[in-house]
Amino acid sequence: MTADEILVEHMMNPQNYGKIEDADATGMGKNPQNGEKVAIYLKVEAEDDPLITDIAFQAIGCTTTVVAGSIVTSEAKNIHFTRAEELVSTTLGMLENQSPEDAACTEMVALALKAALDTYREKQKDPEFTMLSYHIQTDCTPKEEEA
Amino acid sequence: MKKLFAEVHEAWLATQFSGFMAQTQNRQTLYEFSNILFKHLTWLENDFIKNKISYTYDINQVPIRVEKLSVMVHNIIGRIEAIEAQLSTCNDEDITFRMQSDLSYIKSALSKMEDEEVASCFDGKRVYPNVALTDEARDALTIFLFEESYKEYELIMVYNYSKANSDNAFLNRIFQILIDESFFHLRSFGQMMAEMGILAVPRSLMEEIYKFDDLEQFLKDGIQEEIGAKEECKKLAAAVSDSSEHFADFFTFINNQENYHIALMEEALAYLNRT
Repeated sequence: MTADEILVEHMMNPQNYGKIEDADATGMGKNPQNGEKVAIYLKVEAEDDPLITDIAFQAIGCTTTVVAGSIVTSEAKNIHFTRAEELVSTTLGMLENQSPEDAACTEMVALALKAALDTYREKQKDPEFTMLSYHIQTDCTPKEEEA
Repeated sequence: MKKLFAEVHEAWLATQFSGFMAQTQNRQTLYEFSNILFKHLTWLENDFIKNKISYTYDINQVPIRVEKLSVMVHNIIGRIEAIEAQLSTCNDEDITFRMQSDLSYIKSALSKMEDEEVASCFDGKRVYPNVALTDEARDALTIFLFEESYKEYELIMVYNYSKANSDNAFLNRIFQILIDESFFHLRSFGQMMAEMGILAVPRSLMEEIYKFDDLEQFLKDGIQEEIGAKEECKKLAAAVSDSSEHFADFFTFINNQENYHIALMEEALAYLNRT
């Protein structure tokens, strides 16, 4: 499969799209510029280094966000939190290679995962804790619109 | 009844998108049946509202990737049988009697439907028959179709929710026109996706998309989105104009239709500001 074919496959059949009703933690990534957002839901097996046993996401956003959500959640399934934190860092580290619009979408997904991980940790300390929500830093205004 | 509601919603989408796959008279038949299932959805929704029961448009993903239409037809018949098994969960016997009558006929007609090969609707080749697209135009068209097919589905459900939960005749007239317009666009884009081998059912909607607090802000945002869609149509018309006059004309036509949608939303906004 070429890279284009893989991307089209994620558009046609996004992986892990939906909601986990009895999630152990939920995190939100938001773009304050346009109101787009991503929610990530986790089922977690409690260990010293907790294990993500199931993951799902929902998005109010564009196709790029859905593709990013499909890829990142596929990578995050069945891995431990330490590895998931590395996945977040790696994903955020790749933003500068993308267009501002694509980078904003990818950052929103990565921050939603980060928020879900942090929410889980907070819930271990306080079971009443609800959800963390992180705002992206990337300015997604296309260059031509800035002029 | 919430399970019944979700199953009708999923059956509607399965039937509508099977219509996009079909290349024969089956298409029109499936369109008609999908219209009936959508009508059933609105009946059940009105029953929720009448009985003050909260509800959502949450559904499971609707898989449609098949090689033969008959596989989807069997799938739809199975979905209808599941709906029939749940009908007793709705207490309004007038609704369930009408639904049962429609469903029995639809099942009977579907069981006689001629089969068709539909594998090309999902082959991902992104080739449009008799049109030579540049790589750039093909990519732009691909993204546009995924974005807009989702958007039209979203608009159908948003305006449907607004209409169902409003008893304002002026606004409901506008909502109904916008629903009808979005159905037309969804069908246009769905058929194009099938032609290009990228047909897929849009993702389910987050609840806050249709359960919004501020209709005025929603309409303002909607106008901005329509303006954005117009720009995309203009770009696409320009990108494909060398390879397909038909395509260019189509996107110009869609672009101009957006003016009507904007006018309707402005009319609704003006009404809200008067009242």
